[in-house]
Parts: sequence; structure tokens; C-alpha cells
Amino acid sequence: MVGWILFALFVLFLFWMIYIYNSLVALTNDVKNAFTQIDVQLKRRHDLIPNLVSVVKGYMEYERDTLERVTSARTKALSAAGIHARAVAENMLTHALNGLFAVIENYPVLKSSENVLNLQEELASTENKIAFSRQLYNDLVANLATKRESFPNTIIAALFSFKKAEYFTAEETDRSLPPVDSGRQSG
Amino acid sequence: MPLTYIDIEKQKTWRIGIFFLILLFMYFCVTFALLQGIGMFVFPFVFMKTGGIPLSGKPLYLLAIFGSALFMAAIHFWFSASDAVHVVMKSLGATVPDREDGIHKRLLNILDEIHVVTGNRRIIQCMVIPSLSMNAIAVADLKGNAAIGITEGLLSRLSRDQTEAVLAHETYHILSGDCMETTVATSLFGIYAAMIENLRNLGDEDRHGLHPAFFLFWLLLKLSQLLSMFISREREYRADAAAVRMTRNPLSLAEALHMISRNWRGSSLIGSGLEMLCIMNLKDDASDESGGFWSDLMSTHPPAGKRIDILLRMARKSIGDLEKQAEKTPAVSPGAPGQRFFVLNQEKKWAGPFSAAELASLPWFSPRSWIIRESGKDVRRAAEDTAAQAIFTEISGQSSGIISKYHCPLCKQSLIGQPYEKTRVYACRYCGGVLVDSVKIPRIIARREQECTERIASLAKAVINDNQRKLSLKRLKGAGNVSTPLLSCPQCHNPMMRTFYSLAYLIEIDRCGYCGLTWFDTDELEMLQCLIENRIMAALDFSQP
Repeated sequence: MVGWILFALFVLFLFWMIYIYNSLVALTNDVKNAFTQIDVQLKRRHDLIPNLVSVVKGYMEYERDTLERVTSARTKALSAAGIHARAVAENMLTHALNGLFAVIENYPVLKSSENVLNLQEELASTENKIAFSRQLYNDLVANLATKRESFPNTIIAALFSFKKAEYFTAEETDRSLPPVDSGRQSG
Repeated sequence: MPLTYIDIEKQKTWRIGIFFLILLFMYFCVTFALLQGIGMFVFPFVFMKTGGIPLSGKPLYLLAIFGSALFMAAIHFWFSASDAVHVVMKSLGATVPDREDGIHKRLLNILDEIHVVTGNRRIIQCMVIPSLSMNAIAVADLKGNAAIGITEGLLSRLSRDQTEAVLAHETYHILSGDCMETTVATSLFGIYAAMIENLRNLGDEDRHGLHPAFFLFWLLLKLSQLLSMFISREREYRADAAAVRMTRNPLSLAEALHMISRNWRGSSLIGSGLEMLCIMNLKDDASDESGGFWSDLMSTHPPAGKRIDILLRMARKSIGDLEKQAEKTPAVSPGAPGQRFFVLNQEKKWAGPFSAAELASLPWFSPRSWIIRESGKDVRRAAEDTAAQAIFTEISGQSSGIISKYHCPLCKQSLIGQPYEKTRVYACRYCGGVLVDSVKIPRIIARREQECTERIASLAKAVINDNQRKLSLKRLKGAGNVSTPLLSCPQCHNPMMRTFYSLAYLIEIDRCGYCGLTWFDTDELEMLQCLIENRIMAALDFSQP
């Protein structure tokens, strides 16, 4: 009699272990997926920038250095290796783009051009998507951490060595935003 | 200490769970009582002899009742809910967003962003409802389709952040299964309500009068409806909290809700059955805002003031700041009260009643549509009804653009495609006239980027006063002078109807009844926008000729 009860308990314990293991696996994969999704959005931004530069180049003859800054930042972001270096390069690119948009404000023809407006909208949307994908990644990392660190699950996590995932944090330089350099004071 | 959005979500979810169980229990009671009632009718002799129904009380009987109730509900539910998205969107006249329109494209981009932040858990479509009212609705059905409908009036007035907050709120309704539950509840109530009505009719003929059982399950039905409304209110708070979690921006949701609450929410356009799916309730009366016990019970949505208050506490702002900002923008109203019409739509069904402003926003409405006045009985073409004629406007473009395949009906030169109010119109370089797609008219009226200059305003006033005078004379003296020959449509070359946009706004336009293009002469589109924005009207006489 006692034997049967113990056996049933053991089976239940086994099922519980399997359940926890599977949910940890699912969460880990979610986190990995979310991390690559950030790259998808970053790549989209890389692809949009040459379009914007070519559209505005004709009008902005005196702003060559601003355009240069954007193009070189993009090249650096494309070729950067390693998570830290890429994060830094992407930040530089964001700053350069903000500078470019500030300069465009001085050219009324460009400001109302349908092409430029569309591209600005697309870039703004892509920036938002980058931010949202990072937000989703962080939320999923938090879910995984909660599941790993709650009491009975810590045993299984340690047993099968489920790794902790890193949060996506703002660089120290980001927390105090530098002023946007618009090159010119007035149009 | 302000409640964080995560706490709100958890708390409301727990309460919803408890109440849903109670609701389920009530469904069972209602079914049981209903079938007792049917049993009484089917076995009257047994009932009169023994005071009970045969078999009642046996557990198998109860199980059979439960099973058959579930079965009936499932069948009814399947038929009514499996294609709900398609049906609901069609009934509202919603269309797919136009990729070439700046604001619609922005809407599509924002929807993509929402998909990114929810991890693409479910693909949601968005549709645009061509109404000047301000509201958003979310629908999901058994086939797995999900859609969010948003009115032109709302889309054109919200900023990017505010649109995102509204879309996030509706998305959460879909993702959490609220829409599915609402559709279930509506279909199930439909069966019971219909059966109760039928039984009550039969019962009245009975010599014994109304049996107390009828009263009982009427009571149960009302209680379950109340409970369902309670759940719906808790859901709204939870969806607000989830929208903040998605966008991390409580202020823009508060601003959006504040704006919607001040304006017309489409009470005559969206049926009362769909009310539970909208972001804010449709009725305009003040009882919803009082937040008292009784009004709290009877409303499908929590009071807007309370919702905004919770959000503002998170954003550390006061309602006074919002009020100050809101004073700068004019409010949307359903239009001058007065004449309302029923109109025969494209499926040959009568729709309505609509006011003049709402008729204006229906894209398929043309002078050849059949209408009936709310107060009258004759069916006539909209063209022949003096009060119904005016709702077509067009938008013209500015500056350089693309040469289109259309030619100006007056100058015979090519028309140039230009952006105007973030959408495309075709303008003539020589005479300044504009050709616009009739479906774009509601959004052009709703958008306010174009300034109303002094020149346009005074020109508009002069034109409508002049036209009013001519119209009155024409009525008094009968059809008089011969007008200039009709223009031919640039697309299909049929003669275009010359008419006024509306009796309230006497701007002359030419509209093609075959291909839905409208032609405005120089400045007429700006004049019309100016008139509607500032609600300038000539002195009008609405009496029957």
C-alpha cells in the first residue's frame, strides 16, 4: 500500500520535473529569439539610411560633413564585432542621424518633400521597433530569471545548467544625452 | 502610493477569474430553469398533477440538460462567431488602410511596432472606419482572425504616441481573449433572450397566467448580464494597464482617452451589440461619468474620469494640464441635430438613421442613393431630397507632383498628383481645380494641417451666401436658368453630376456617380474645409418646398 503511494508520488515528481524543464527550455529559446529580432530591426535601419542620404544629398551641398558622419557611422555599425562594440557603434549612428534630421529642419523644400517625409516616418518607426524589440528582450529575460530563480525550479535549473541571460542596458554615456550637433545655427 | 501597471493587471485578472466562474454557474442555472419551463409547457398534465416535471432531480437529467445547453450554445456560437471579424467590419463599412496615405501608412507602421513588442504572438489586421466619430473597436473570431477598427475621426486627430497607446489597448483585448469571451457572451445571451421572449409570449396565453419560473429565469438572465458587464469593466482597467506596460507611456493613453471622452463616439453608427468591444462607451450621457453605484452597475465601461485618473497618477500629472491642452482643439459633434435619414446601402438593405454629417462620411453614398427621411415616408433619390444633397468634398494638392493619367475637365490638360493633408489628390496647374477620390473626403475633412486663411474664409462666406440666395430664388420661381454644360469625368468620361456638397455647406462640386471621383473648382476644397472646421453656415431654410 505504502509502496504504491510512494510510486505515485515519484511519478508525479517526475512529471513536475519534466514540466519545469520544458518551460525553462521554452523560455530560453524565447530569449534567444528576441535577441536576434533586435538585429533584424537594426539591419532595417542600416538599409534605410543610404536612401535618405541619396535623397537629401542634392539639396544639402554645404552639409557634406553631416552626411559624411552618417555614412561613416553606418559603415562602422555594419562592421563592428562583438556585442559591446556593436552597441557603441549603433549609438553613434543614432546620434549622427539625429544630427542629420536637425539639419533637414533648416531646408523648407526638403522638410515638405514627400520622399523625405516618408523616409523620416520609416526611420522613426524603425527606431521605435528597435526600442520595442529591446524592451521585449528584457521582459523575456526577466521571465526567464524569475522562473530560474523561484524556489523549486532552482534545483532543476542547476541540475541541467540553464544559463542566466544578460539584460540589455543603456551605456553609461547614454544616460546623460549629449546635445545634438546641428552644424548650423540658422538656415 | 500609485499602483503600478503590473499590480493593476494582476489584481483585475484574479477578480475576472472568480467572476467568470460565477457567470458559468449562472449559465447553468439559467439553462436549468429554462428547460424546467419548457418541460412545464411540454408536459402540462404531469405538472398539474404532481407539481413537478418528470425526471427532474435525477443527476442524469441534470447532466443531460447541461450537455444539451452546451451543445446548443456551441452550435449557435459557432455560426455567429466563426466569421465575426468579417461580418462586423463589413457592417461598419471598414476598409483596409491605404498605403499611399501618409497617416494610414503611419498606422500600419505603428501596428508593426505593436507586433514587435508583443513578440508576434498573433497577427492582427487593422481597418479604418470611414466615420468622423472617434472610437476604436477590437474583434476576434473562432477562425483565428483578429482585427482592430479605428475611425477616421480618431486616426486623423491623434498623435503618433496616442495612436500607439490606443492600438496597444485594443491589441491586449485581442491577445487576452477578451474579444472571444465577449462574442461568446453575446451569442449565448442571444439564445436565452430569444427563448425567454418566445416563452413569455406563449405564457401570456395560458389561463394560469405567468408562472413564477419565467420570472426566475428572467431574473437570472438579468443578473448574468450585470455580471458580464462587471467583468467587462474590470477588463477595461486591465487593458489600460497592459497598454502602459507595452508602450511605457501612460500620459499618451490618458490624453487619447481624454480626447475621445470629449467628443462624439459614434453612437448612431456602431450598433449597441458591439459596444463592449470599443475603447470607450458610445453613449454621451452624464450618468456614466458619475461613477455612482447604480451607474457603475449598468455600464459596460468604467467611467472615463476614473481611467484617466489612474493613468495620470502613473505619469505624475494632473487633469488640469490635460484640460488646458484640450481646450486648444475643437470638439467633434455628430453634426447639427435635425434631419436624419435612412439610406439603402450597396447590399440593398436599409441602414441608418444617419445625420447629414454621417451620410457625408459613407464612401458609397451618392446622389443616386435611395433615402427616406426619418420623419417622412417617401423613398426618393438623395439627389432629389433637398436636405440630403451635400456631402461630397474633395481635396486638392499643392506644388509639384506626379503627372497622372487624368485630364482636367475644364482645361483638358494633365492633372498633377499632389499631397494634400497627407493624402494624394490631383490638381490642375492652369485652373487650380482638384480631382479627389470620394473615399478620401472624410479624412480630409477630419485633418487640420491646412490653415484656413482670411481670404478663403471670406471667399467661402461670400460664395455660400450667394448660392443660398440663388437656391432660394430657384425654389420660389421653379427651375429657371440654363446652367453651363455638365463636365465629363476624367476617368470614365460619363457626365458628372453638378450638385452642392450639402445644403449646410453650399459649395458646388461635380461628382461622377460611376467611379467615385469628385471635382472641385479653384479653392472650393479649401473653402469647404474651412466652412466645416469653423461651422460657418449661411442662413438656411429647411422647410419643405
